Formats: sequence, C-alpha cells, structure tokens
Amino acid sequence: MNAIEIRNLTKNFGTKQALQGLNMTVPIGSIYGFIGENGSGKSTTEKIICGLIRQSGGSVKLYGKDYTDIDIRAKVGVLIESPGCFPNMTVWNNLKLQADNLSIENPDDEIRKILKLVRMEGSAGNKYKNCSLGMKQRIGIAMALLGNPSLLVLDEPINGLDADGMRIMREVLVDIAKKGATIVISSHILGELEKIATHYGIVRGGKMIAEMTAQELDESCRRFVAVKVTKTDMAKSLLMRKYLRIEEDENQYLRVYDETTPEKIVCYLYENGVLINEIKTDKIGLEEYYIDLMKDKGGR
Amino acid sequence: MTKELKFESPTFKQRIKGMLGVDFYRLFHTPLFCIFLAIAAIIPAMVSGFTMMPDQNGNKIEPLYSNVWQIIAATEPLYVIREIADYANMNMVFIFGGIMVSIFIGHDYKSGYVKQLFTTHAKKEDYMISKTLVCAFAMVCMCLTYFIGGTIGGLIAGYETSVNVGSLVCAVLGKMIMSLGWAALYTFLNVIFRKYFGISIASSFFFGTGILIIGAAAILGNSPILNIFLYGSSVFACLSSNLWTIINCLVVSIAWTAIYIIVGSHILNKCDVY
Repeated sequence: MNAIEIRNLTKNFGTKQALQGLNMTVPIGSIYGFIGENGSGKSTTEKIICGLIRQSGGSVKLYGKDYTDIDIRAKVGVLIESPGCFPNMTVWNNLKLQADNLSIENPDDEIRKILKLVRMEGSAGNKYKNCSLGMKQRIGIAMALLGNPSLLVLDEPINGLDADGMRIMREVLVDIAKKGATIVISSHILGELEKIATHYGIVRGGKMIAEMTAQELDESCRRFVAVKVTKTDMAKSLLMRKYLRIEEDENQYLRVYDETTPEKIVCYLYENGVLINEIKTDKIGLEEYYIDLMKDKGGR
Repeated sequence: MTKELKFESPTFKQRIKGMLGVDFYRLFHTPLFCIFLAIAAIIPAMVSGFTMMPDQNGNKIEPLYSNVWQIIAATEPLYVIREIADYANMNMVFIFGGIMVSIFIGHDYKSGYVKQLFTTHAKKEDYMISKTLVCAFAMVCMCLTYFIGGTIGGLIAGYETSVNVGSLVCAVLGKMIMSLGWAALYTFLNVIFRKYFGISIASSFFFGTGILIIGAAAILGNSPILNIFLYGSSVFACLSSNLWTIINCLVVSIAWTAIYIIVGSHILNKCDVY
C-alpha cells in the first residue's frame, strides 16, 4: 500500500486541460519532491489530493482509500499556497481554531508541542499579520501538523524564505519525517529539495514525465571531471579537441563529461603547457538533471 | 520507520461541536457583529425619530406610525406595500443580516480559512449547518437589539403604546424563528457566489428586501399562499399573530433551512471549493 496512488488523473478548467492522465505513486514514509515548471499541474494535483478541487477523471487513493473518504481526510495535513489564518488573530488563537475544528483533545498541549517543533514557541502571542513570511510558512506547517497527520501536502513551503528560514524549514521537515509522516513537497528551489527528498516526481504539461527514488536519481546523474585553470580559454580549446562534451560552469570550472579520469586530464593539459589549480570529480545535481530532462522532453 | 496508521474520524456531534465553537468564537471576536447589532438598534430609533420631525416649513408632518409596536411589526400581514410604514419594521433586520452573513462568510474565503477547513475531515454539510446556525443566532440578536432600539425610539417619539402583548410576543418570536431560514438562504447564496464577494452581498440584499414576494403579491394579491416563502412568513408574523403564526414560521423556516442546506452541500460537494 502506498500513501498516495494516482492513476490517469485529468482535470479540465473550461477548455484548458490542466492534468492529462497524470500517474503518481508516493510510498509511505517518504519525502516526495514534486517538481515542475509553473503551470505544469503541481498545484492542481495537490489541490485534488487535498479535496479542494474535484478531478475530471481518474482515481486518487490515499492509503488505499478514495481521497474523499472522511476517515482519510482526518489524517491529511495541508499547506497550499499560504496558511488559512485570520490576520487579526494571534498565532495561538489561529492554531486553537484549527485544533477545535479537528476536535483535538488537549489542544493546548498539542499546540505547545507543535510550536516547539516548528521553532515558534516564543511567537504564540504575535498577531498573524505581524509575522514574517518565514514565520507564516512555519505557522502553516504547524496548522498542517495539528491532529498528528500521516500525510502532509506542502505546496511551495520554502519559497520566499531567507537562508536561515530555509534551514529551519528543512530541519522541521526532517524532524516530521522522522516521526513517520509521509510528506509531499513541491518547490522550485531544487537545491533545497535535494537535501531532504527521498523520492521525486517530475511533472510537465499535466503529465508525470519521471518518477524515481533519490538513489535512482543519484545513479542517473551524469558524472564529470571539473578542472580550474589559469588559462581557461586555452584549456577549453585544448579539451574540446580531445573530448566531446565540455562545459564551463558559473564558477569557471571546466567540466568534462566524457568517460575519463582526472589523471588523464592533468597529463594532457600539462603536456600542452596548461597549469591546473584545482581538479575534482563530481556529478550534476537535481537542478541540472531537471534542466537536462526538460531539454530531452523538448522544453526550454 | 512508519507509525501505525489509524483512521478514525470524529463523529458528526464532535465535528459540529468543534465547528460551531470556531464560528461562535469568530462571531464574538469580530467587530462586525457589534457593528451590525448597533445598526439594528439605531435604524428603527432613527426611523421613528425622523418621522416626528417637522418638515422644511416647520410644519409637523403626518407620523409614519401610530403605535410604538408598528416599528416592530405591521398591524396586518400585508405583502403588498401601501406605504413605507408597512415595510419598515423588524423585517429590515433580514436585510442587514444578509449583508453581515456575506461579510462573515466572505472572510472565510478571503483568509483562506475554508481551505484549511475542507482539507481536513470537515464535511460540506457541517459547514452549511454551522454557518446557518451561527448566522441565525446573530440575526436573532439583531432582532433583539432592533426591538430595544425601536421600542426606545418609539417611546421617545411619543407614539401610543397599547398592544395585545400575546400577539406582539408571537410576532417577535415568529420573526426570530424566521432568522434561521434567512440565515440558511444567505449561507446558500454565499456558497453559490463564493468567488464573487460583491455579487454575494448584492444577491443577499436583493432577496432580503423581499422584492420578489412584493412583486408576486402585486400580481396574486394579498394571498396567504405567499406564507410558504421566507419573506411571506416574516410578514405574516405581525401584530395580529397567534400561536398558529409561530407554527407557520417554524415549519416554513425549518423547511427552507433543510432545502438550502441540502442543495448548498450538494453544490459544494460537486464543485471546486477553493
């Protein structure tokens, strides 16, 4: 049984087809990075999972049951776009209202526990409207965590956060995952997603174009040898004579994607009078993998 | 390691208790409620006061009412308006109430609260029931402040006070009972036009004025068949009311409430809610 199983999901908004037979499988206990361009259908899929909009076709099962099942819904925590909070109420009161809605026993204890988890214990008395963006996002996570959900669906929870905010959010999500919850998280900040995700789903044009584990992604990512030299242009032209795939990255490293070893490159450049400052082997990250995939599928 | 999965949702009683708690909390903590209570009290006091003021030439004008309690309810159930006094009574609360309900529910959508609500175990029926009950309570409170404001205004204006107390109580109770049906209608309208706040308010105002029933009465005459509608029964609760009036209001109000809740829940279940 999977936490989420989506088959042939379609959604039409008038004549626009937002989802075109999307399939998605989220294993229990995973942190599922849901990636795609703007308008690719990520939010629509998440809104359907959360019961906010209805699908035009296909099936959505959460823990083997239909997603509209009331017992299942009680175990889903959600942060879609921004938290649904009343701006003039305090953080505590907003959480208290949601706890009442969820008929939580001992809501005060639960709220205290969750505020500590999201590193907001000192801000309970602040009015929601006076909170920073990072704090608001963490309040959204706190609201989603009320009722001890088994499944968390988070739409762009790290967008707009500063470096420290992102770090805190990452720690919070990892803590939640350690407690056994399944997390679906969509984001455009792939570098951050890569640090926590155990599974990935890449969506484009309303279809799932790739689904893999973090390990599979690691294996699929291209390896390369990166060299930093003083005479970059000369080294580049030399390397281009011998290797097929050469690129210069934003840090002025020359990347050689062909099958080779650092030793061979060192010898070759040294023989041709180029001194090497630095050399290392590495592989492309999620972001570059995603860009490559988009190119392969005819995008960008 | 994954935790043990237990899928047990709260019962209807637990759900509705939680949701009513939230809605009542919001009602009592929003300035909107106090503002509308004040409006409901001030308007009848002003209407009775203004009608006793002299005109531009300093001449005393014909008073709008002859009796304090006509500010609360009409003497007879008149669906067709002959003069403003037939119309300007406690039924006006249902117009203010419509606007209040629109703002109250509109805020649910503006703040994203419904998103937070409908992604959990909350059923659409629970939402309709909770909103209807809380808004009905708010309108009953407005009826009370209207009664106080109207009575004080009428007494200050010097209107006559003789009345059949039993009929007056039946009329006020009848109108309070009708608050439930009106609240259900406004909740329903706000669910239909949830994405269009302006239209929600306009439609609530339109129905609250009872213009459709007044128009129907102009064609059908002062027919008691119009009592099957919310505005008709609200007019029926007048100063000649008796126990039958209360039973009529109860049946009509509950019937329309059930209809609006069932249809509204069905629409919410079939549509995208956010």
